[in-house]
Amino acid sequence: MKRSTVLTEKNRGAWATVFTVIILLPVVFSILKPLWAAEPEVFLDPPDPRWESCFRPKEYMRFHHMDLLKEARSQVIRDGSGNGITLAGCGDCHRNREAFCDRCHEKASVSLDCFGCHYYLTPSELEELEGGGH
Amino acid sequence: MDRRNFLKRGSAAVAGAAGALSLPVLSSCTSEAEAAGSRLEGKKWGMLIDLTRCREGCTACMDACREENNVAYHGDRRWDVHWIRKATLHPHEESAGLEEKEVLLMCNQCDEPPCAMVCPVQATYKRPDGIVLVDHHRCIGCRYCMLACPYNARFFNWKENPEWPNKEYPRRSHGVAESCHFCAHLIDKGGRPACVAACERSGAGALIFGDLNDPGSEISRLVAAGGAKRVREDFGTQPKVYYLGL
Repeated sequence: MKRSTVLTEKNRGAWATVFTVIILLPVVFSILKPLWAAEPEVFLDPPDPRWESCFRPKEYMRFHHMDLLKEARSQVIRDGSGNGITLAGCGDCHRNREAFCDRCHEKASVSLDCFGCHYYLTPSELEELEGGGH
Repeated sequence: MDRRNFLKRGSAAVAGAAGALSLPVLSSCTSEAEAAGSRLEGKKWGMLIDLTRCREGCTACMDACREENNVAYHGDRRWDVHWIRKATLHPHEESAGLEEKEVLLMCNQCDEPPCAMVCPVQATYKRPDGIVLVDHHRCIGCRYCMLACPYNARFFNWKENPEWPNKEYPRRSHGVAESCHFCAHLIDKGGRPACVAACERSGAGALIFGDLNDPGSEISRLVAAGGAKRVREDFGTQPKVYYLGL
């Protein structure tokens, strides 16, 4: 059998180096990316400065707001009390529903049923309100 | 150990383990339910409609109800929803001497609500304070409750309400059943039903609302004084809406 001329005893080290570099390329790329990448686009509308007084920390709300809302929903309906969280309360700081609720849920393919029955300012109404305020 | 004994002991062990596991779960459920009900426990809201003071042609209570609860009105009797409405009673041939009469009809807030009994998803239920209401998030729109209600007090949302007068209270999407809930959202804030307030504002004062469990309340005294009737008491539904002058 004819012996390989590409991979020989002598150049084995060189091939190993090339292989390692190729494998590590994505890692190096991702580490260095911030050097030339642009600032990430702000995905959600920045809330009112009052956001610091949100019901829970931002990180918690990001993942568990639906649980809190569901809990509030059953407490309000079944017991007439609630846990202090209401959609109207969300709207006090996060005025723009399109930029706050809709954009993220669209991205995550989650259909929202809330606003068929519960009132939340629509962007056009918000514009009207703010236009009237100035 | 023979096979028979093995099976016997094995099944007993499994049953025991299952019992031990399920007991804490069950007990936690009941304690939670009790804790949830405690806030509303003790009250029993009721309404008395004094037909002798109710004015003919007045629609104050109905208008106030629509304004407060976003009750759908399309101007077409196929789709209109009424939480409180006026009906004209025509005397039967045999009951000579009686006159035609306008009567206010609404959900009777039964103490034994047939609508809640038949609801397959427990969307309609009775709160500890006696108010019968619908969890519209749960309602699947089967309309069993409408069949079960002997008072025709339940309505179905065939269409979404085109108007939304009270933005602080949700409207209903199409496909859910609903009826009067004594303005439970106002009661929870310490208020009273919108129709009662409107009736008082109009000067008639025909609607009296209060706690039937409190012997000192106006409604309790009027009911105790006698003369207050409920619609079709023979059904055994124990309505909490009383009528004077029916």
